[in-house]
Amino acid sequence: MIVNYNWLKEYVGQALPEPSEVERLLTEHAFEIEGVEVVAGETVIDVDVLPNRSSDCLCHRGIARELATILDVQLEKDPLQEQLTLQETDKISVNIADKTACPRFTASLVTGIEVKESPDWLKVRMESLGQRSINNIVDATNYVMYAIGQPLHAYDADLFPQVDGTWQFGVRYATKGEVVEILPEGTSTEPRQVECIGTELLIVDESSNTPIGLAGVKGGQYAGVHAGTKNIIIEAAHFHPTITRKTARRLGIVIDASKRFENEPSRELPPFGQQEIIALIKDIAGGQYQGTVDVYTQEKKNPTVEVRLRKTNALLGLELTLDQVRAIIERTGTAVADSSSPDTLQCVGPWERTDLQIEEDFIEEVGRLHGLSNIASVAPTQTTDLVINPRQYYTEKIRQLLLQQGFSEVITSSFQKKDKIQLRNALASDKSYVRSSLRKNITAALDANFAHTDLLGIKAVQLFEIGTVFEKGDTGVGEHLSLALGVRQKGNGYTPKDDVPLQAACALIEKTLGKNTPFKWSIEKGVAEVDLSEVINSLPLPASYGQRTEREAATYAPVSPYPSVARDIALWVQEGVRADDVAGALRAPAGDLCVRIDLFDEFTKDDRTSFAFRLVFQSPEKTLTDGEIGEVMNEVYTVANEQGWEVR
Amino acid sequence: MLERKGHQHPLTQMIDEINHIFADIGFSFAEGPEAETEHYNFDQLNVPKDHPARDMQDTFWFKSKDVSEPTVLRTHTSPVQARWLESNGAPCKIIVPGKVFRNEATDATHEAQFYQLEGLHVDTGINLGHLKGTLEYFFSKFFSGKTEVRFRPSFFPFVEPGVEVDMRLLEGDSKLAGKWIEVMGAGMVHPNVLKAGGVDPEEFSGYAFGMGIDRLGVMKYGVEDVRDFYSGDLRFVNQF
Repeated sequence: MIVNYNWLKEYVGQALPEPSEVERLLTEHAFEIEGVEVVAGETVIDVDVLPNRSSDCLCHRGIARELATILDVQLEKDPLQEQLTLQETDKISVNIADKTACPRFTASLVTGIEVKESPDWLKVRMESLGQRSINNIVDATNYVMYAIGQPLHAYDADLFPQVDGTWQFGVRYATKGEVVEILPEGTSTEPRQVECIGTELLIVDESSNTPIGLAGVKGGQYAGVHAGTKNIIIEAAHFHPTITRKTARRLGIVIDASKRFENEPSRELPPFGQQEIIALIKDIAGGQYQGTVDVYTQEKKNPTVEVRLRKTNALLGLELTLDQVRAIIERTGTAVADSSSPDTLQCVGPWERTDLQIEEDFIEEVGRLHGLSNIASVAPTQTTDLVINPRQYYTEKIRQLLLQQGFSEVITSSFQKKDKIQLRNALASDKSYVRSSLRKNITAALDANFAHTDLLGIKAVQLFEIGTVFEKGDTGVGEHLSLALGVRQKGNGYTPKDDVPLQAACALIEKTLGKNTPFKWSIEKGVAEVDLSEVINSLPLPASYGQRTEREAATYAPVSPYPSVARDIALWVQEGVRADDVAGALRAPAGDLCVRIDLFDEFTKDDRTSFAFRLVFQSPEKTLTDGEIGEVMNEVYTVANEQGWEVR
Repeated sequence: MLERKGHQHPLTQMIDEINHIFADIGFSFAEGPEAETEHYNFDQLNVPKDHPARDMQDTFWFKSKDVSEPTVLRTHTSPVQARWLESNGAPCKIIVPGKVFRNEATDATHEAQFYQLEGLHVDTGINLGHLKGTLEYFFSKFFSGKTEVRFRPSFFPFVEPGVEVDMRLLEGDSKLAGKWIEVMGAGMVHPNVLKAGGVDPEEFSGYAFGMGIDRLGVMKYGVEDVRDFYSGDLRFVNQF
């Protein structure tokens, strides 16, 4: 919700601190701030209103009230505290088919208005919120929504047929297949035709039963206000949040109005919307207010909630007094009375705060307004009283075993292009199934990693994954933990030799975990997989997690997207010269582009030792050329010769 | 030298670390299914059907022909709270590290799958101060330096009050040191969640927290793209 600082100030008054302080206060006590900037010459603050406060704070008055609560001041101007002075009219009738779906519907008639450009101040306000100014009437409906959170819609009364001198509105469910025309969306200039499935709530022109809008979601062009409009009807209603939300989601329409309705603003709000807009229209479009129809069939008042001092302090970890708690709750506009129970307050939240329903809701108010920074840490106590998780214990044991055998661990995607179980709503067509086995991913990882053996300083790719796989069961989607390991020794794919270290690793796991354990390995083309859940279920429950694995601190550097190039060098050195020292001496001439030097062969003959090193070069910025590497290698040869080492 | 030992994936390294840190203060490692029913993933956690709160988590659904009741790829590890309370009641002290799924576009800071760490501690007399102290203990151990924690107001349907947790490493030469960093959501377990788990909120209270382990990895190791965790690429894994 983007709010205009000057607009807030109109409500809060001189007590409103500078924008930076507003930002701090809201962050500490209410909402996160996404940003503060100047738009159309106005300071605007992007407030990330929390879902539970979207009922009352998706508007300037709501944020202003919140600031007044935090600052412990009264609002200088509060549109929701005004005396309602609406008059009844019998010129408009409303027929509501389902009173739960539409508990309140109001409509006002204003005659003799003039549609024109909005005054500058209103244009600036709209622009500062990122809204385009349309005309004074449309801007007025938007203004009131951003002011107090009530969505409104204006109709041209002369384009709306009357029956016996009255305008007849209806609210009913759509019939299946019924088509509703709604206002153009996005960049389109054409109205959108929506085919209903029957769950949508419609506003209709009762005289002909014609749908004129999707209630709470989006209006239509029916009886639209235009440049020559003289007489208008303004609608302000309350629609059921769930019905609104379902329709909005199904049709992919999330606009300011639907977002507000689906968060259940108070049912008390619509007449305040009418009062605000009638005054504004009189001011900027002239005309005569003729009266309002208000059909309010289902009231919903905030409950009386008992808030206990003991419970408040018990959840927050504070030691507040009853008077402190009372004073804080009263700041929110809540009516607080003493309960017959000791140290207990009877609280009724202000009507616009539909989120204040249970004791914990009020306790949260106390916590955040008193200041969450006042909560003192309670250090945990050391204990060994816990249940050991066999899955964590055994998987960690298997990991350490495989690491010792030179296998590295990967975690791959749970999604597959094709497998047994397809998701209803996939992210992409190549990720629409969940995996039933780890085999495919391990095979793909073996292939992909073989290209990097030089860079990684390994001869063969050996890797494993422990992860969940899914299968169809009798009662739904079943799953188990799977272990898969794979070996790849040649670049052109699987060779039977790959199975030798693979089988050795499998045998080692079996031997270590216990001979009587049912390991049903499936070994195929260099990849072995086993149902690890089944294995772990048959193993004894561990008594402790045992020794903690010591790990060195690691830091990560991004992987260069450019290819690496390897060059080998073999040298004769005096027997007794250490390979590390030779590699160390080659390090400097090899330069920054050399990412690793690995010894891959050594033998001794006649007082001399031969070392063969592989130097791997890679740039973080470009693909290296033969020429560039040749130059570096010449430096390396020069240094080797200077050391008296014979290059073979 | 050519490498002879394999490298453990940073996520499972972190999970092992996390488990040991929490085991020392009596938290049991709990687990639950990745294919979770709507009942446990949402309903038991005070997230009703068609409530805007469900927008906070974009969800993968299984097809109705494959399941006997509506089932999702769990969007958080929180359903394990509900399952554990239902089976074991209170008091309870668990962590739940596990894979979770969100149906959202991926980029350097978002993956459709990631690992989450859930914590739940329910007992008599548990309050936000216990949450704060436990998290400070955990972060200090995990980031190897004294760490402080602060709360800001927040909202999650399964807690009330709800808080956003920021941490600040007070010592060391890590890039993290001295800065407040938003790390997770937490709060006092909502009475509806306790009741759904058969626990009397008049007798017991508890805190819950949830954070991304991938995000902890971004902070701890300086990983720049969370998608690297799931690339299967040893050029990534072998750095750990």
